[in-house]
Amino acid sequence: MRGLARGLFASVVLLSASACGVGCRAAKAEDTGDTLIVGAYSAPREAFEEAVIPAFRAAWRRQTGRDIVVRASYLGSGAQARAIAQGFEADVAVLALDSDVDKLVKAALVAPDWRARTGGAGLMARSLVVIAVRSGNPKGIADWADLGRPGVEVLTPNPRTSGGAMWNLLAVYGSAAGDVKAKSAAVARVLDNVIVMDKAARESLVSFERGIGDAAITYEQEVHVARRAGRHYDYVVPPATAVIDVPMATVDRYADAHGRRAVAEAFVAFLRSRQGQALLGGFGFRPATGPIDLPGDARFPAAGHPFTAADFGGWKKIAPGLFAPDTGAITRVLDATREDREALR
Amino acid sequence: MKAARPTAGALSLRVVAVAFLGVMVALPLAAVVGSVLTGPGGVGTALHALLSRTARAALWLTVWTAVVVALVNAVMGTLTAWVLSRYHFVGKAILNAAIDLPFAIPTLVTGLMLVVLYGPQQVIGHLLAAHGLRLLFAPAGIILSLLFVTFPFVVRAVEPVLMDIDVDQEEAAATLGSSPFRTFVQVVLPALRPAVLTATLLTFTRALGEFGAVVVVAGNIPRRTLTAPVYVFGAIESGEPAAASAMSLVLVAVSAGLILAVDRYTRSRARAMGVRV
Repeated sequence: MRGLARGLFASVVLLSASACGVGCRAAKAEDTGDTLIVGAYSAPREAFEEAVIPAFRAAWRRQTGRDIVVRASYLGSGAQARAIAQGFEADVAVLALDSDVDKLVKAALVAPDWRARTGGAGLMARSLVVIAVRSGNPKGIADWADLGRPGVEVLTPNPRTSGGAMWNLLAVYGSAAGDVKAKSAAVARVLDNVIVMDKAARESLVSFERGIGDAAITYEQEVHVARRAGRHYDYVVPPATAVIDVPMATVDRYADAHGRRAVAEAFVAFLRSRQGQALLGGFGFRPATGPIDLPGDARFPAAGHPFTAADFGGWKKIAPGLFAPDTGAITRVLDATREDREALR
Repeated sequence: MKAARPTAGALSLRVVAVAFLGVMVALPLAAVVGSVLTGPGGVGTALHALLSRTARAALWLTVWTAVVVALVNAVMGTLTAWVLSRYHFVGKAILNAAIDLPFAIPTLVTGLMLVVLYGPQQVIGHLLAAHGLRLLFAPAGIILSLLFVTFPFVVRAVEPVLMDIDVDQEEAAATLGSSPFRTFVQVVLPALRPAVLTATLLTFTRALGEFGAVVVVAGNIPRRTLTAPVYVFGAIESGEPAAASAMSLVLVAVSAGLILAVDRYTRSRARAMGVRV
């Protein structure tokens, strides 16, 4: 019965991961040639498909004289981590949260020392949590507090279904001065004005592009991708905001089982190479290492007082402390109604 | 019909039907029940999740919007079926074909259509917003999407019954001086009642479980616009299978309980009227 129940959930997950369903089968048919399976979260889709993967294939051909097929599946970070843990045999994982990679460590798929092996704390790139606003910023939004003003309608995805949403709310929470109560109150003020919580970060921004709301909390990188596709609006970097770390790792057990460790490690190294970082930069990602501000690059506005997940003890502490069911500080605010939130203040 | 010893063919037919039902319906249901009983933390965790304020609010929102939708479609569906079966007018064939469209359109697309129609960039949405009215991302949006998704049930259940009723009865009532309204209530409605009841119930249970259309138009804010199916999705995505299974089970139980109750009611009425069931 228990196996049955698990099977049911697995099939639900797999159904939702339809992209994988196709990718997995195709991959098995070609196990003999050079193939690489990448399981990624949804934000780097354009960067990977349009720039990184073609460049990597060219580099691989130069180095080895062999062709390589790279198949990538893109899902919400949590869903992708679960898909990989439940048998989507990706060789490389690129996810939105450290803690999602740690799920793969717990499933004995990724070796515990993945951060050290990838170099630079296991990051592929970084981005900032920003506020997308209508062109010309008609509501005059400059900081998180402005999202709590009466009459401002805000979009942010649901943190229960989107890793990006957790970064968004961490940015609001972490930028507020004071103790847990004051920080929670800052989140509460913004949440009072949230009119839609879409399932995923990308969906939320699509709703914004459709004309819904005055502001959307999103990744800086997502706005750059929209601009490349010809959808133009402004964004504001609040004076204090969160630096988003994008972790990546080789999925050691699958890569070894497929005999693709060398390719997997080459892909990870390529992402961290000067060329890989430049390609990612073209799609709005900030570099994995070094200062987050790039004064010489007009595409990236300066961040005043950026903070990282590490400043709050890393996702190992943030996930249970802020987002655990019932007890997490942000979960409590989410579960409260407007009236309850009044009382919180 | 006399009860006779079933032939081998009839017997195997029954076995096939029951086995099919078992594999396609009973087995997945059993899996959900099993996952509640054997999941991490067991029944306690599941109950705790169900009793949370967010879960209760989601369930309440889902139930009351489904009730509204069932009642509205019971009336409008019967009306539509009446018009289709009793009158001839230009465009009737097109209307008739359009009624089934909600079943053919993926519900996610239904949600998108509503967002496009009532969104701020469109004429209707713009007008509504100018008057301070919000249909989307409010219970009104949930109801609109559910009305659309469940519309065919009542029409398609009532229409054949109406076709079957002898128009002579209605004409006789009219000749005896009955008003059209009175004729409908006293002559037609009693014959329609079982069909309307069953179809309304189907509408309700379908509305209870709708996800694709609702997730797009509702807004999904906990304790404001988060429905039970969207809650289930959130629980699965955030790694809380116990909460997901528990809520699913409640939705199944509400539907199953109602279906059984109505089934008993219609059987007892049929028996009272001397029909063998």
